[in-house]
Amino acid sequence: MTATARERILAATRANHFEENPLPTVPQFTGDASVERFTEVLQSIGGQIVRIPVGQPLAEVVQQLFPAAGPVASPLLPATITIDEQTPTAVLDTVDVAVLGGIFGVAENGCIWLPEANMLHRALPLITQHLVLVLSQQNIVATMHQAYALVTDVGDYGMFIAGPSKTADIEQSLVIGAHGARSLTVLLTA
Amino acid sequence: MKVALFIPCYVDQFYPQVGIATYQLLHKLGIQAEFPQKQTCCGQPMANSGCEQDAVPVYHHFVDTFQGYDYVVAPAGSCVYHVRKHFNIIEQTPAVQHVREATYDLIDFITTILGVTEIPGVFPHKVGLHLSCHGQRGLHQANESEMTPVRDGHLRRLLKSLDGIELTELDRNDECCGFGGTFCVSEAAISARMGQDRVQDHLRNGTRVLTGGDMSCLMHLEGIVRRQKLPMRVMHAAEILNGTIL
Amino acid sequence: MSHPKRAEVFTRDTERTTWHDETLWFVRQKRDKAVYAVPEFQELRELASQIKTHTLSRLADYLEQFEAQAKANGVHVHWAANAEEHNAIVLDIIRQEKASSIVKSKSMLTEECHLNPYLLRHGVEIVDTDLGERIVQLRQESPSHLVLPAIHLKKEDVGATFFKHLGTAEGEVDPQVLTEAARQHLRARFLTAEVAISGVNFAIAETGSIVVCTNEGNADLAVNLARVHIASMGIEKLIPRLSDLSVFTRLLARSATGQPATTYTSHFSRPAAGKELHIILVDNGRTQQLGRPDFRASLKCIRCGACMNTCPVYRRSGGHSYDFTVPGPIGAILSPNIDMRQHASLPFASTLCGSCTDVCPVKIDIHTQLYKWRQVIAAADEIPASKKWSMRLLSRVLARPGMYELGGKFARVGLRFVPHALTHAPGYNPWAIARELPEPPPQSFREWFKQTNPKP
Repeated sequence: MTATARERILAATRANHFEENPLPTVPQFTGDASVERFTEVLQSIGGQIVRIPVGQPLAEVVQQLFPAAGPVASPLLPATITIDEQTPTAVLDTVDVAVLGGIFGVAENGCIWLPEANMLHRALPLITQHLVLVLSQQNIVATMHQAYALVTDVGDYGMFIAGPSKTADIEQSLVIGAHGARSLTVLLTA
Repeated sequence: MKVALFIPCYVDQFYPQVGIATYQLLHKLGIQAEFPQKQTCCGQPMANSGCEQDAVPVYHHFVDTFQGYDYVVAPAGSCVYHVRKHFNIIEQTPAVQHVREATYDLIDFITTILGVTEIPGVFPHKVGLHLSCHGQRGLHQANESEMTPVRDGHLRRLLKSLDGIELTELDRNDECCGFGGTFCVSEAAISARMGQDRVQDHLRNGTRVLTGGDMSCLMHLEGIVRRQKLPMRVMHAAEILNGTIL
Repeated sequence: MSHPKRAEVFTRDTERTTWHDETLWFVRQKRDKAVYAVPEFQELRELASQIKTHTLSRLADYLEQFEAQAKANGVHVHWAANAEEHNAIVLDIIRQEKASSIVKSKSMLTEECHLNPYLLRHGVEIVDTDLGERIVQLRQESPSHLVLPAIHLKKEDVGATFFKHLGTAEGEVDPQVLTEAARQHLRARFLTAEVAISGVNFAIAETGSIVVCTNEGNADLAVNLARVHIASMGIEKLIPRLSDLSVFTRLLARSATGQPATTYTSHFSRPAAGKELHIILVDNGRTQQLGRPDFRASLKCIRCGACMNTCPVYRRSGGHSYDFTVPGPIGAILSPNIDMRQHASLPFASTLCGSCTDVCPVKIDIHTQLYKWRQVIAAADEIPASKKWSMRLLSRVLARPGMYELGGKFARVGLRFVPHALTHAPGYNPWAIARELPEPPPQSFREWFKQTNPKP
């Protein structure tokens, strides 16, 4: 049945093709790629940013930021819970803080590229109560044009994350912490 | 320059003073306009109701009436927009093409064809400008809030040039008034509510004289102002400009 | 019931109408602020429009390319010609998985296909996980907006619903507290879901990937925990290249809510090890719309909802007044394609002010299409007979100057002598429900002109 649907749809679509309009070349619109701009935008969308002094261990920073943290998952520092692709949901659900490595940030909208390889588990950036992304301040681009020029392959799964999970579905009142992480902290390294 | 006045049907019948002001204003600006007596309507009421085909004889009549003029000038952006945009369904003879291009809204005609950007005159009142959607978004007479925060346009500049005038700043600079032709009766509840909200915006921001370049919006708004007995006068911009110019 | 009737009912609650209008206008203002801050925004709109038009002009080729890539990625690709086929495919996957716990994130397509009631009839219950959609689901209502499904409700309404269904305190109306209650309630569903259904914002032909955008994170949380991910998409969601996303991601959130980007922009190419990704390509009237040259540009829509937020009619009549899955101006040009008779009043629910066209991030000529649908609907005899005949009569009069002059005079003189109570009776004259008629002058312009300019 679905095979015929496929043929019907393709035939009907093809029958309604019209004179071809050229596919435009998208210019590389650029802009402010400063750390300041990125910081300002990220804060405006509910994220917080912490600059890491050279030489300070990540674990120490995370400890200071989340002194009473429950299980901390991370490939970047000594974690208190081990997460991998096979981790059962019930265990994932106990993660309090996940510290993951972002690849680059986008100054115009606060997006940070997080590929699957850096997630430990696809659900971890969402299911953790608090998300911490480590980002080098050398790796900030201005706009999404530069962003997609860098992401030439999205891999099996990958996401841009811009701030903590949020909703405004009740009377347009902004509430941080809908279903995903309740907070997003970006640790900016030199 | 051979200029014909097009005075839309409802202006002719209900707001002759607007037609008179248009005629006199043009005269003061050096244009002796003619008024072809056989003119009727641009056909928009039928077309907007979905009966474009019924409007075809009206389109032909319009072209027939005005084809001998260099310019056709109307104090109603909406009608002008209709002629320019929607007369595309009849055969595009040279006469049709000419009339579509030669039909101008009064304010556009004054500013772009006559090159008049200032009016010497005094109008010491708090004036609220209502932008007609067809004039603004259709004929691009004024900036659109969808594109830019800068509130500017032909009529705003002309009015600003009057001494003593104070243009009120609205909360919503270019929200539709809700007239919409037959919409005003087919969607009477929404149309009324939109008009009431528009008038309230003016009232809140101090408008004492409500003006604009399109008499159809103003007819609707005036109906609300009078029903609610509000301390506001509704005047077409032609009346203001004609009344102040020396 | 027609749009004006439902709209009239909505406006009876004056205060709520004011609130609805102002809330959506606030979203429009946020959109404006975001748009003004991007100097190339108008160029981006043009690029987006060109990319979409190009894709539509050779859609079958891109569909085949997408399918081949997705299959090579290990994705199951299904085709559904209509809603019934789509729903049957979903049910089949659920049954094969023997799943009893199913969650769904935002998907207007599944609303369009009435998937939830279909599955319920087959004994399968779906939990909507977008907060707004969950609220309307609990109330057994439909979304009233593409992006803000519960925008017709006030926090008191939500509080009452959550008190009844989620056990929040009676009278609790704090959005923070209510959202937290929904988070806890839905987290339990996320953890146990076996099948997760999502919508699709963009599908990339060259990579076979799909892109899902949310703020809440519900789509990613759900599909990354469940074993099976079903993504339903209309065939018009395709874009050719991954890099085209740079244009669309810059437009979508700014147009929708004024955010610079949605919180999560997720790209799915392959399922995780041991899991399944199913993509259902749905037609359901889209190829028919593609075959209507005047209306096919409506298929460029990226479902941002900006046309609703800006529409002065939508803001005052509410999404439910459209009685169609997609409300507002874009719904008014999509719905007649599906059922012209049922939705005949929608293209008339507009003043043709054109603001929808000006905010549309993919430059759909919405108000021009509204005008054109009116012509099609009238030609098919789907407008009220009174309107049809009065327009015919009007045409006769307006093409004949003599009749026109006489008729105008009758109207004007008539108005001067007929008592106000009669000319303004609401039953006969809808104009008069809120407006005075113009005061008829003694002389028309043409009479004045003749008098002052006697023929030489």
